Amino acid sequence: MSTANLRKWVGFCFIAIYLFVGVPLWYKLTTVYRASLPINYIESLQNDKFQDIHLVIPVYVKSDTYRFPDIHDAVQVQVNHLLNSKEQRVPWSLQILPYNETVQNVEEKENQFHVVTLMLDEFIGYTSAYDTKETVVYYDDAAVLSNDLPFFVAQTLVEHTFQLEWTHLNKTNEDVSTNNQVAISYDPNIHLSITLLSGDGSPVAWEIEPTLTDYFSPFRKFLSPLVNFTVDSSIVYHNDLNLHSLNRSSANVTWFDLSHTIDLSELSSMTYYPEDSALNLAIVFPSVSSTPNGLAFVNGTRIANSVIALDWNSYLVPQWGVIIINKNPLQPNSVISEDYLEPMMYRFSTDIFHLLGLTEGSQELLSPYITIDSFKRLTILQNLDKAIETLWSLVKLTQQFQGMSIPREVSANVVEALDLRLEIIDLLNDPEKGGDIVWNNALRLSNELVKLCEKAFFNGEMVQQNFFPQEHMIAVYLPLLGPISAVLFFGFYNVMKEKNEVKNETEREAAKEKTELEEAEKLHAIDGEDEIMG
Amino acid sequence: MRTAMRLPLLLLYLLLLPFSSANNTDAAHETIATNTNNWAVLVSTSRFWFNYRHMANVLSMYRTVKRLGIPDSQIILMLSDDVACNSRNLFPGSVFNNKDHAIDLYGDSVEVDYRGYEVTVENFIRLLTDRWTEDHPKSKRLLTDENSNIFIYMTGHGGDDFLKFQDAEEIASEDIADAFQQMYEKKRYKEIFFMVDTCQANTMYSKFYSPNILAVGSSEMDESSYSHHSDVEIGVAVIDRFTYYCLDFLENIDKNSTLTLQDLFDSFTFERIHSHVGVRTDLFERDPSEVLITDFFANVQNVIPDDSKPLSLSHYHHHKDRIDTAQYELNNNVLDLALEKNHENFSSPKLDKLTKHIKSTNELNVDIGSNEYSLTFSKQSVTLGLMFIAMIVLLMLSGNTTKANYNLYNN
Repeated sequence: MSTANLRKWVGFCFIAIYLFVGVPLWYKLTTVYRASLPINYIESLQNDKFQDIHLVIPVYVKSDTYRFPDIHDAVQVQVNHLLNSKEQRVPWSLQILPYNETVQNVEEKENQFHVVTLMLDEFIGYTSAYDTKETVVYYDDAAVLSNDLPFFVAQTLVEHTFQLEWTHLNKTNEDVSTNNQVAISYDPNIHLSITLLSGDGSPVAWEIEPTLTDYFSPFRKFLSPLVNFTVDSSIVYHNDLNLHSLNRSSANVTWFDLSHTIDLSELSSMTYYPEDSALNLAIVFPSVSSTPNGLAFVNGTRIANSVIALDWNSYLVPQWGVIIINKNPLQPNSVISEDYLEPMMYRFSTDIFHLLGLTEGSQELLSPYITIDSFKRLTILQNLDKAIETLWSLVKLTQQFQGMSIPREVSANVVEALDLRLEIIDLLNDPEKGGDIVWNNALRLSNELVKLCEKAFFNGEMVQQNFFPQEHMIAVYLPLLGPISAVLFFGFYNVMKEKNEVKNETEREAAKEKTELEEAEKLHAIDGEDEIMG
Repeated sequence: MRTAMRLPLLLLYLLLLPFSSANNTDAAHETIATNTNNWAVLVSTSRFWFNYRHMANVLSMYRTVKRLGIPDSQIILMLSDDVACNSRNLFPGSVFNNKDHAIDLYGDSVEVDYRGYEVTVENFIRLLTDRWTEDHPKSKRLLTDENSNIFIYMTGHGGDDFLKFQDAEEIASEDIADAFQQMYEKKRYKEIFFMVDTCQANTMYSKFYSPNILAVGSSEMDESSYSHHSDVEIGVAVIDRFTYYCLDFLENIDKNSTLTLQDLFDSFTFERIHSHVGVRTDLFERDPSEVLITDFFANVQNVIPDDSKPLSLSHYHHHKDRIDTAQYELNNNVLDLALEKNHENFSSPKLDKLTKHIKSTNELNVDIGSNEYSLTFSKQSVTLGLMFIAMIVLLMLSGNTTKANYNLYNN
């Protein structure tokens, strides 16, 4: 093979490697990995978030005096009629079933169902039990005769027992959540920080440990299906939350003055706890030096059915916790007894219900079990809503930012979340399931679902390439690929050109020879012929 | 006829209108703020001694928001942090922003979250979008929610649509805009107040497109931002004009101030700043004249008195006897229920305490440690201890003697 041909082949090889190996490799290595997401499914869920949900709550009817064999069917008709009267945003219904021995067997302390007990009395009315999930409907003989009983039961159930669902799940209510300005957003793990603040530096002690064991531990356990509290306590000296700057002698200190005076910055240290949410209880004693006669605006807390008033006021700080301001400063070396802390625990427990969003404003908590049960269901729905919202945000972002990478992990999380969602919906929709265990389980799963969706959304790898503008890309690639490409292409061009030049030269030489020959023929001056002829 | 009847009413209404609107304005200042937690992100993107003023800018802002009650846990401070302990600093460990050196900005406890080479574009974007690896500490994250107002302050050297990060890289205005959009999608803010003090600062907010963002910049496109003054002793410029006049205004603000952001914007004049301050309000729903300074620069926690209802407790015994169910239901407390439930499961001996009478406050201050008592106590214990030691020594001595005797006999 001639040198020219060899050069040509080498040139071709370089170009071929450049084009068929280099370019695909570069493309592969620099392409942002974008795993596929079930975009259409998520979009359809976003358009109608509760499309596949039909919340069914089983309610058992029990009658002690009379036997009504078909009362559950009759109540069911009335309940359906009543529920249909309002347009529902989240479809829900009650499944009225007769109370029998099987239910009795399934029911335990930890797994209660909603039960309606019909009781013959002289008047018509209802009560909800304070310590169970039972609703008692009183009726008289006249109601039985006029066949009004099913309607009474249905009305009691829908408008009273399931009042939270009735108000929050219809079309007029925009949001599923019971959240208001005071309550923190729901989180299954909440840190509780209890602090004793003293305006002075003299040592004080408090019996917080026995108080918490005696009062707060049972309360924690009571709320444990809903929220898991972790508690810490501490004493802070030389801090009265800036109360000394208030006009102490004035009794006219309003909440507005307090809002602008109280400085909670030292207590808002939620970043030091592993939990995402935190609530605080601050028990403040003013300083002896600045307030020897106590704070005039603290007018004490009255106790029901008693003449005694306690020397402190409590204040609710929205989404933060509770401040208890004591009227008098602490004497040096005081020990705050459990008896003194006990009423505070009572007040705080009631406030926790506000802060969690279980009760609003001055609303009474008349039947805690039923309220907690409804709250669980609303929280599950709220979690489902939140999960879809998060997934939809994820989809929107990935579509908007084409340069954003989508790791395989995100896609796996999304798929897992969607499966989990269906699992939860199965639990909600099943009319046979509706005991405490089922709701607790569904709540736990829905919390997992929210976590999974957040994990997908906040994946750390999705930041890459996002802050990498086009100019930067050119700035990086040009010095790297520019010289290689330039050398290769110009070299190849050169080789091609060389070959052509060689070819042209040969052709030119051949043509030249041919012309010379022709000219010689014309002149009959070809030596050979002369010689032959001669 | 009807019109004639309506006319006096209309007149009356017109007469009352000024009063009612005046009342409304007053009421506006006393309404409950809906933002329940305010955050501040303060970034100095420069490095090196000659950029002293950028560090001082950020530290001054830090001091101001902290003074107005934003806790350290809600302030994210990003700065190269290389001037306080710089060998060229005549006042080691201190940073000043004024001629009289009255306030040492570095004096109080300054919690820097991202320092030195941690101040990068990537970390800033990660901070805003909260996309981190799982082991990232919580104190270095922007844990905001839909009720959070965020004040973002950036200073450094900038240009048309970019801001340099430590001479190594730059952030484009689009990047910040996209990060805000991601925050908006995940409901991570209620409102953002973006303030930037660099050359050509107004270009930095030009690409924003997410709602509820109010932005202010120190200078127009193709315009420089200037420093306020140089310090003879420190040898470099110590603060920028825009930030200086901002702080000048903010120094007069207290937590109960009713001044608004419009008042702040009005205080910026070309004579003072030497450049054209730009304000972008089109994305922001509220009028700046309705936004209190404290809505962003302070943390005002609403306090709601909780003493409307008498406290009910110790009704456990009422409940047990069922004497008066109606009364019980009115006065019950959920804690009683929890205690009762706990009692059913595991009998708690402490439950009897519930029926105890409440002691008055005077009885609370049980004095356990008057000096005299503790002194006697310590004297007694010392004597006892000494006696105890003496006894042990005696016993040991006697033991040794016996042993010695024994050995003697053996031998």
